[in-house]
Amino acid sequence: MRILVVEDDADLSRQLKNALKDEGYAVDAAADGEEGHFLGDTEPYDAVVLDLGLPLIDGVSVLQKWRADGKAFPVLILTARDQWSEKVAGFDAGADDYLTKPFHTEELMARLRALLRRAAGHTTDTIDIGDLSVDNRSARAFVSGMSIKLTSHEFRLLSYMASHRDRVISRTELVEHIYDQDFDRDSNTIEVFVGRLRRKIGTNRIETVRGLGYRLMDPDESKAK
Amino acid sequence: MSPGPVVTDKEPHITNSSRSLVFLLVRGAAIWAIPLLVVTGIILTWLYRSTTYRSFDDPLVSAVTAIIASAETSGGDLVLTREPLDPRYSRALSGRYWLVGNLRKDGTIKTLMSSRSLYGAEIKLTGSDVSRLMLSQGEEIRARTRGPDENEIIRLVARQVILPNMNNEAVIVMAAADSRPAARSVRTFAFTALGLMLLITAGLIIAIVTQVRTGLRPLFDLQDKIADVRQGRAAQVDGQYPREIQPLASELNSLIAHNKNVVERARTHVGNLAHALKTPLAVLQNEAKVTDSEFSGIVGRQTDLMKNQVDHHLRRARAAARGQSIGVSTPVGETLEGLLRTMERIYRDKKIDFDIDLPDDLFFRGEKRDLEEMAGNLMDNGCKWTAGRLRVTAQRDPEADDKFIILVSDDGPGMDEEQFSEAIKRGARLDEATPGTGFGLAIVDDLAKAYNGSLSLSHADMGGLQVKMTLPRRT
Repeated sequence: MRILVVEDDADLSRQLKNALKDEGYAVDAAADGEEGHFLGDTEPYDAVVLDLGLPLIDGVSVLQKWRADGKAFPVLILTARDQWSEKVAGFDAGADDYLTKPFHTEELMARLRALLRRAAGHTTDTIDIGDLSVDNRSARAFVSGMSIKLTSHEFRLLSYMASHRDRVISRTELVEHIYDQDFDRDSNTIEVFVGRLRRKIGTNRIETVRGLGYRLMDPDESKAK
Repeated sequence: MSPGPVVTDKEPHITNSSRSLVFLLVRGAAIWAIPLLVVTGIILTWLYRSTTYRSFDDPLVSAVTAIIASAETSGGDLVLTREPLDPRYSRALSGRYWLVGNLRKDGTIKTLMSSRSLYGAEIKLTGSDVSRLMLSQGEEIRARTRGPDENEIIRLVARQVILPNMNNEAVIVMAAADSRPAARSVRTFAFTALGLMLLITAGLIIAIVTQVRTGLRPLFDLQDKIADVRQGRAAQVDGQYPREIQPLASELNSLIAHNKNVVERARTHVGNLAHALKTPLAVLQNEAKVTDSEFSGIVGRQTDLMKNQVDHHLRRARAAARGQSIGVSTPVGETLEGLLRTMERIYRDKKIDFDIDLPDDLFFRGEKRDLEEMAGNLMDNGCKWTAGRLRVTAQRDPEADDKFIILVSDDGPGMDEEQFSEAIKRGARLDEATPGTGFGLAIVDDLAKAYNGSLSLSHADMGGLQVKMTLPRRT
């Protein structure tokens, strides 16, 4: 999952980036409204953490522009503005959640997970596909109740595929959602990650659809079909 | 840091006079107009009386002169060679008389000869009139006395003269006439003048009232416009006013604009301060959690304390700017619907059934952001505690025409009556398990009071808490 953080305070931005990376997300950061708007407009983020009091373009305007351009990713507003009038303006501009500073990182993560979960149409942080269980809350995966050791990139890949289960996901899409923009992107490494994942969770769980990409599925369900 | 409401050094001393400006102006005009009219009436009557009696006296003076001119002595007796021509001197008790006599020692007049109209009667003069006559040195005097008919009041002209061949003995020559018709004429004139003056007074008062009302109309217009601004129906004092009032209207508009600027500046300042303080606090709080040391624990606890203090004082600073704006009103239904949209998104996982009843024609006399802050906190509180239903209604206050009521009821656990007043106290939190600063209801109470409103808690029909907020309504 790839997250954009738009925050002008360098320290807070760094903290958010680190905390989100620790949770297994790929994170990009923008320090002003203009850069934030550009990144949101050009990169396929799964969610955005947006400050309102930004230099160059304020957060509400950035959000309005995204929504006007048809960008549907969930946006969590993270701001010092705690007045209800500001919350109403934020939600009316298209925000999906609103958190005021100072905040607890755990609360921010919980809300972000809820946004991502809702966007993918799930009701809980844990996604079960047969006996494979992906817990986005603890960034861990289980097969038949046994914990699987995964690297952060492997977990991101699995989490993204689990959130979009039964859908064929192209290599490009996977690259876009598991790497941040600073990473040297190479779609061939996806094949390596998929190969490693197959070894860890079982080869029959990830189907290769030739020329299109990969699909995560429940092997028992597909057998029944 | 304890910003409080801005107060002037000296409280304005304004007392409400029960007298209206119209009353004062009309009374002022009446004070000089009515005495002036009374004096005018008196002078006119006096002038008419003088003219009437001068005209009345002229024939009598002529008669006296004619009698003196035609008086002769014949054989020791006094005779007139030619009697006055007016036939009324010959008709008995006709009201026209003449008499020639001399003064007795007792001060009465002994008739030497008189007009036939006197019919043998005498004309009696008062002692003072006789004295005046004695001292007149031949000049004519005028006097009033009773005539031969007892009901008759006569006015006479008399002279004391020495006729030839009368042994230097002075004789008194007088001519008199019934003065009642002249007195009646003067009386009639006086009454007519009085009536006329009363009529003019009434007309004058009506004219003054009309003029004052017309003259003060721009002031009444200004009064209406100020009431519109106070009620939030208008943002400023509009319209064209006479040269004398225009500066007042302009100054009022400047004052309203200045007030708005001050309030806006205060809010911007508080907003900037909030941003400037809260972001570093968030950074400190997050940084403290990176390591699990004693130092981190201290930083974490202290930043929590700072956060609470910053919240508390920022809210006080915001509260200082509340309720100060004039000339604004806010649609209640539209504002609460915006808040409901927000609540639905914040609490979407709770799947709350919102039961709302908001009329379109209700307007809050105050700022939109203040109404949002108050109603937002109440609804947020309801959403936190509800088991699944939240009812939000707004209606006019049946007990006060210039107020309206917002009721927020939930089906949550509610609270005991003893806890009602505790819940409104600043910073009180009755349950630490539900997220929140604990300022919610206290902030609403502070804000409502700033708008002369009120907040009260009770048990809701659906089982939970019902919060009733009363606020000023635009009429």
